[in-house]
Amino acid sequence: MGSRRSGLWLVYALGGGWGHLTRAAALARVARGPVRILTNSPYAGAVCARMPELDIVALNPELPAARAREETVRRVEASGAACLVVDTFPRGLGGELATLLPKLGAVRVLIHRDLNPDYIRQKGLEEFVGSSYDVVIRPGRAEAGSLAGLPQVRTTAPWLIRSAHELPSREAARRLLGLEERRCVLVNAAGNREEQEWYGSVTRALIGAREGVAVRCVAPVCPPGCPREAWLNYWPAMDLLPGVDAVVGGAGYNTVNECVACGVPLLTRAWPRKYDRQSLRAVGQAEACPTGIDEAVAAVRARLGGPARTEMRREFPNGAREAVEILESA
Amino acid sequence: MIPSDWTCPRRIGFLFPHPCGRSSPVGCPECQNGQIEDPYAQRTDREGYDNYGDYDSADWPGAASAAGAPGEPLDFTEADGENLVKPEEEFEGDLTES
Repeated sequence: MGSRRSGLWLVYALGGGWGHLTRAAALARVARGPVRILTNSPYAGAVCARMPELDIVALNPELPAARAREETVRRVEASGAACLVVDTFPRGLGGELATLLPKLGAVRVLIHRDLNPDYIRQKGLEEFVGSSYDVVIRPGRAEAGSLAGLPQVRTTAPWLIRSAHELPSREAARRLLGLEERRCVLVNAAGNREEQEWYGSVTRALIGAREGVAVRCVAPVCPPGCPREAWLNYWPAMDLLPGVDAVVGGAGYNTVNECVACGVPLLTRAWPRKYDRQSLRAVGQAEACPTGIDEAVAAVRARLGGPARTEMRREFPNGAREAVEILESA
Repeated sequence: MIPSDWTCPRRIGFLFPHPCGRSSPVGCPECQNGQIEDPYAQRTDREGYDNYGDYDSADWPGAASAAGAPGEPLDFTEADGENLVKPEEEFEGDLTES
């Protein structure tokens, strides 16, 4: 156990968007030893700025795939890590870990977020993971878990970027949102560039509907169609949840699990992804699943017809802490 | 809550996998209310069906004229099967996916 704590944990967190990097950051924040995150997320700069204590190696997201694979292998080999934690993609996002893993002396751990079963079948991942990984951690029971039958699987609560005791009070969160004591809908515009217009249009429509609630849209860049006065550039958005009454967002891992943990009603649009099946996550955990702009406004109106939230849920587990215990004893 | 335009992404089928496409897992005999992750792979009723069977024109005389190819073999093959399913999706080529 002692060597596992003192040795480096290298978290392979390649993949577009916020999800892989945020999950890796959630683990790194609560680990008791050194953790390095390898990412090609375009949002690495925002995470580094907000959490400068994290050791993040950010590959250029514009690198051609072949170069990115080479660079990734080089970084993994040079790290001397005692433990390699691979987020989501057992063979690496570009397949570059497939031949590297058997040669690696490190303990190998897979974080098993949901994966497209066509991918699992096409690449023979069940057999590959069974023979290549020492531990598989399923970060939340709601993750579909196609590999959950493997003997080395451990299941934790969802991994969260904030633990319950770290979240601000409702008043402090509302100061972050720039709000008086009015009810608030947060449009969480995480996701791909081409999806931003939908979030911008929903924000504009909610403001135009004059429902008597404040509307904020959180995104690194003001989405097309979003009124600038409603836009907020802030990460992690989980800090804002104590101050809001409902969230409109995608059905990615972090958006869904953060809202569920805090007890904030989530009205979610499930976007198509190559590897992640947001629609399965949405069906299980969202209060409503609008796809059209008008549908989103109607869903918000229906949701806000009830009594206002006065305080958020203050007790929830953070699976990242459980994961640290598992990794230390692996 | 199930989205209004939701279609089930699970694979179903007896011989060939294809998207389920149902609008709800509720009451679905394939995934049994969402409990079965991959209904195609997890079918257990394929015993005794280890090939595509014989559809010789001697046994199926009407089929030859319907197919417009008298005298041609009518046996169902893997090539026919490939035409029934969408091409395999390519994975591990794009490092910006998630």
